[in-house]
Amino acid sequence: MKKRIFAVLLTAALIATMFTGCGSSTNNSAADATPTAAASSDAETIKIGTISPNTGNLAAYGEAVVNGINLAVDEINAAGGVLGKQIVLETLDDKGDAVEGANAFNKLADDSNVCAVIGSVTSGVTSGLAPLANESKIVLLTPTATADTVTDADDYVFRACFKDSYQGRMAAKFAAEVLKVKKVAVLYASGDAYSAGLREAFIAAAEEFGLEVVAEESSSSTEDTDYSAQLTNIAGSDAEFLFAPYYYSSVGPYIVPQARAAGFDGVIMGADGFDGTIATMVDDKSLYNNCYFTNHYSPDDTSAAVQNFVTAYSDKYGAESLNALAALAYDAVYMLRDSIVKANSTDRTAIRDAMSGMSFSGVTGSFTLDETGTPEKSVAIIEFKDGAAIWNSTLGN
Amino acid sequence: MSDQLVTFVLQILNGLKIGSVYALVALGYTMVYGIIKLINFAHGDFIMVGSYALLYTMPIMVSMGMPAWMAVVIAIAICALVGITVEKVAYKPVRKKGNNMSALITAIAMSLFLENLAQTIFGAAPKPVGTIFSFPDMVFGEVKINGNTILTIIIGVSVMIALQFFVKNTKLGKSMRAVSEDGQAAVLMGINKNRTITMTFAIGSGLAAVASLMYCASYPQATPTIGAMLGLKAFVAAVLGGIGIIPGAMLGGIVIGLVESLSKAYIGDLTGGVITSAFSDAIVFGILIIVLLVKPSGILGKNVGEKV
Repeated sequence: MKKRIFAVLLTAALIATMFTGCGSSTNNSAADATPTAAASSDAETIKIGTISPNTGNLAAYGEAVVNGINLAVDEINAAGGVLGKQIVLETLDDKGDAVEGANAFNKLADDSNVCAVIGSVTSGVTSGLAPLANESKIVLLTPTATADTVTDADDYVFRACFKDSYQGRMAAKFAAEVLKVKKVAVLYASGDAYSAGLREAFIAAAEEFGLEVVAEESSSSTEDTDYSAQLTNIAGSDAEFLFAPYYYSSVGPYIVPQARAAGFDGVIMGADGFDGTIATMVDDKSLYNNCYFTNHYSPDDTSAAVQNFVTAYSDKYGAESLNALAALAYDAVYMLRDSIVKANSTDRTAIRDAMSGMSFSGVTGSFTLDETGTPEKSVAIIEFKDGAAIWNSTLGN
Repeated sequence: MSDQLVTFVLQILNGLKIGSVYALVALGYTMVYGIIKLINFAHGDFIMVGSYALLYTMPIMVSMGMPAWMAVVIAIAICALVGITVEKVAYKPVRKKGNNMSALITAIAMSLFLENLAQTIFGAAPKPVGTIFSFPDMVFGEVKINGNTILTIIIGVSVMIALQFFVKNTKLGKSMRAVSEDGQAAVLMGINKNRTITMTFAIGSGLAAVASLMYCASYPQATPTIGAMLGLKAFVAAVLGGIGIIPGAMLGGIVIGLVESLSKAYIGDLTGGVITSAFSDAIVFGILIIVLLVKPSGILGKNVGEKV
């Protein structure tokens, strides 16, 4: 009997490994590379690792980022690849969890064929990966992690997006100079690095731009569903403007409708986490009028780079998952390609040296990386009007 | 009325609204616990099943010219079916072979299974639920009260009263109480124990569907993990009121709702900003610890010595 159990377990293990094998090979997005070809022809290809939350609460982010990366890689491969070689992806999942992210990163860093890593999506996970990247001396290029602390030195960590303190500052600037409000309120999630970081930057800048913070309320996480108590207090203050740095998943169904139900009819503003709110809005779209957010790009932008990307993405994956994260991920692949071309090598350190201080022009703007590896670029202010996201203005320093 | 008093009244209503949702969910926990001594951790996920059922049946109802909230009838049927299936497929076999601990672990496994299944079927992205009912705002002098808040409280209270009546006065309700008090004796009295357990699951899960209607009316979004936190808080409510006691679950739910709302609104001012509204969840779970230390049987529970 024992023997039989052992045999069954062994078979199960064999089958399981078979599936994992298939799993990683289907992740290769080089369209023509069969699993065996990918394994045996490593020298003929350039392997890039990616980490994103493909399952779990933030799976929508992972989906957009993976699509953006795949789109760029397919384009590059179709045009002949980099340095004459096809790019092969190893797409790993961090489930939005720091430990899973670290495991995924170590797996990639230990594979000497992987020349650089694109990831991860959230600041929480990426902050944990940054020291690992510096230790193993491999480029970690995050498309979307905006927390200031993700990279603050000239090292192996780079990003394709602006940082939170800049975003929070721009929101305060927009409130003071464009909307010309005086009294503002803040609602933020104290347990979330993104939300708390934006709140800090906004409050610091509010003082500078002469805004008075008349109410400040918090929730424990960005995943709360009930903000009525805090919003009732804010509606009871005389604030004309509410800064609420949350993610789309709470903004659409909870924060905005609850704020309006509590009687707050002033401006509600957020940051790039508002991107995607349209899909989560309740039926009464008029509630979302007078809401703004800062973002990395606007799909309404008429420039050729943006329009080509929007068309290519929508054709391939549908417009539903298209957001700024997909655009940033798409840009990140091209940033990496440019660096590899400039380095004329797939050596990890050579790629880092080429990326440091690089200038780049893509879907999310033209920029030069500063000494920490963070782009200095303008923000797009997006406004909701009857359920549509409309470009309002572009703000820079 | 002063502005502060107006705000206070609104905060109480906020608390009653979420409290009546907690109470309905807590009823599901308490009914199942009362009858088979199992903390059904998958109960929160029945809410998730209910909200997806609403999400997909509401457009059908509307296209047939019926009001959207009628979808709750189908949602109740689906939830009851899922509840019965979970009981028959997972809990019953485990209960026969294992002990309470293995049943508890099965419940946690079932919860994760339902969440992941929902993620596979519906995707991880949150889906907006359409308007279920929209009740006009009511104005009393200076106080403007959101209509849906009032409606949610009314539905919650009516369901609770109906359930209490059902358990006290109907034959099935009496057999549920009998099985809960002494399962073996109930069988000797001619009560079909298995059928009673099945019906308890059906009713508890049906209540979850009603709770998801009320929840989605105020928080109109369905996600695979919608039931996780809601379920935990309702569990605290059930323990606070006295798990296994139906009026206790109602009381516990309302108390938790009020504590949550009022602590979010006032704790910052009361403590001079040391403890902020972000701590409201910590306060809710802190209550669980205090209850377990001071009166483990809950507010309405009687201290019963362990039978040897």
